[in-house]
Amino acid sequence: MSLLDVKNLTLQFKTDEGLITAVDDVSFSLNKGEVLGLVGESGSGKSVTAKALMKLNASNVVYGDNSQITLNVEGQAVDVMALRRPRDLRVVRGGAISMIFQEPMASFAPAISIGKQMVEQLLIHTDLSKAQAKELSIEMLDRVGITEPATRFNQYAFEMSGGMRQRAMIAMALSTKPKLLIADEPTTALDVTIQAQVIDLMKDLVAEFQMGIIFITHDLGVVAQTADKVAVMYLGRIMEQGPVRDVIRTPAHAYTRGLLNALPKLDDLDAPLMPIPGDIPSPLERPSGCVFHPRNPELRPGSRYEVERPPLTEVRPGHFAALFPEDVAGES
Amino acid sequence: MLNFARFAATRAAMALVTLVIVSLVVFSLMELVPGDCAERYLAYKNTQGQAITLADIEAERVRLGLDRPFLTRWASWLGGAFQGDFGESCILRVDIAQLLGSKFWISLGVCLGSLLLAYAIAIPVGILSAASRNAALNNLLRVLSYLGLALPNFLLALMIMLFATVYYGNTLTGLFSPEFKDAPWSWAKFVDLAKHAWLPVFILGWSATAFALQTVRALMSDEIGKLYVTAASARGIYGTRLLWRYPARHALGPIVNSLGFDLNRIFNELPVVALILTLTEAGALLLEALARSNDQQMAGAIIFLLTASIVTLNFATDVLLAAIDPRVRKSILR
Repeated sequence: MSLLDVKNLTLQFKTDEGLITAVDDVSFSLNKGEVLGLVGESGSGKSVTAKALMKLNASNVVYGDNSQITLNVEGQAVDVMALRRPRDLRVVRGGAISMIFQEPMASFAPAISIGKQMVEQLLIHTDLSKAQAKELSIEMLDRVGITEPATRFNQYAFEMSGGMRQRAMIAMALSTKPKLLIADEPTTALDVTIQAQVIDLMKDLVAEFQMGIIFITHDLGVVAQTADKVAVMYLGRIMEQGPVRDVIRTPAHAYTRGLLNALPKLDDLDAPLMPIPGDIPSPLERPSGCVFHPRNPELRPGSRYEVERPPLTEVRPGHFAALFPEDVAGES
Repeated sequence: MLNFARFAATRAAMALVTLVIVSLVVFSLMELVPGDCAERYLAYKNTQGQAITLADIEAERVRLGLDRPFLTRWASWLGGAFQGDFGESCILRVDIAQLLGSKFWISLGVCLGSLLLAYAIAIPVGILSAASRNAALNNLLRVLSYLGLALPNFLLALMIMLFATVYYGNTLTGLFSPEFKDAPWSWAKFVDLAKHAWLPVFILGWSATAFALQTVRALMSDEIGKLYVTAASARGIYGTRLLWRYPARHALGPIVNSLGFDLNRIFNELPVVALILTLTEAGALLLEALARSNDQQMAGAIIFLLTASIVTLNFATDVLLAAIDPRVRKSILR
């Protein structure tokens, strides 16, 4: 039984201009101890998908009728879509799921000390006393490599460096021993050297705590280093998903190839950068057929992809791409 | 704690320095008025039919010490001001402290009362309306607050007076009942004042509330959209606890900051309301001194007292701000 099952997740936002589709029929699953990389450009729906797991999206959100999110915690299946009251939502908000955000500075309340915020969360989700919660928080700060944790416990976010803040955020997220950690671009705001430290730290902790991680990023390089599986999203749809090495070494979808080509190559400095042509279309004008077809340089005019939506077809074992079966045959 | 006391002491000293500088400005302005106190008084005597010569004016100047250098006069004026002695009125030749009497404190009390009323309403209502998604409620509040901003105070005062006269046969004017007007201060007099003062407090508070409501709402809407609020709800914090502990607490700093500015604004509006409600208060005296009798001593005294009140309030809000916001506290205590 997998830790997390997302089936047919569809999610729209009600706006004055009409319904905007942010996530369109997305399915994936995640096992204990596994890291799933969720990759895509901004606006691809990766953050919205992750927030849906905690029902954290803005109040104008409309979930599709067939959307299903099931979280298996200690032998019990939690139907996330059925959770309505804030009280019941605590299971997925800080209980079984914790989230780390892109901006560690902005995700701590500026006028409340780090320690108070950690203790507050522990008091909500555990039976610990205040003193025990403090002890555990200091222990967690120590565990993520923060020196003088007892002093840092009383400090505020603005008194720490960027890397230290993100460590403290990780300490806070893991202190309730969640089964699933969602990391929304946790290293994007950090220096490259600090980035590597934070990624290593997260990998260690996952192995130790045996939880699942959803790692959201636009950086395929980071995914290659961290994830076991990867799902590439574009305009709210999964374009390709599968084992990380397989997808990155032999990408089946033109969009994934485009993302890989757009990465700067350190071993060939003269190689031109190859950006994906065109811009992300306005969310109000979703392309018909395959949502990527207007930007796909590999398609001939009049192609089937302009009108029909391709299914996720298995390319290799466990590796799926949004392609029609006849194209898959030619691919491999 | 010791650090905090040191910070408060430093701020108090800075407030004092500000006040000294302000006093120099006020005193210079008093001096800039054409003519001096001796001329003004003797010219006034002249209109009463007494023949005045240049020698009389010169003698009066010496008597008042106006022949001394500017800085000496400023220093002695400032020394007196800090002890509550503002000298004599130019025209009436009566001690200003006596003339102002409790009027200044009553005016200040009315203004502070309006300020208190405004924020006592604006803080909870503003916070809840920023947090609420109820469009009808928010629109109603918006209309009410535009009404508060757009409706001139004097019109509101006139409307209430008209209403009160027609329906109750009482104009609700003045600050004291006749029997208390010249009575010495007592509990009964204070109660009588409170019975009368609610109306000017309400009228001045009406527009101040509308103003404060807009401020609080805007600040709150800003805070509610911030990432740390989302992050807190991702940790399972919700409801009123989330609202008060996170965005509301963080919006409070700028609100506290705006208090001094608001007090000044309310004081500026006081004379018009006072005129209609026939209140004898310091704002009306200031207008009288500035516009009609050209009594620079009187005007200077009132402006100095008003500035001192605002400087004191700013000192208080600075200390309060440091107490509630660690960013402010840590940046100054280091």
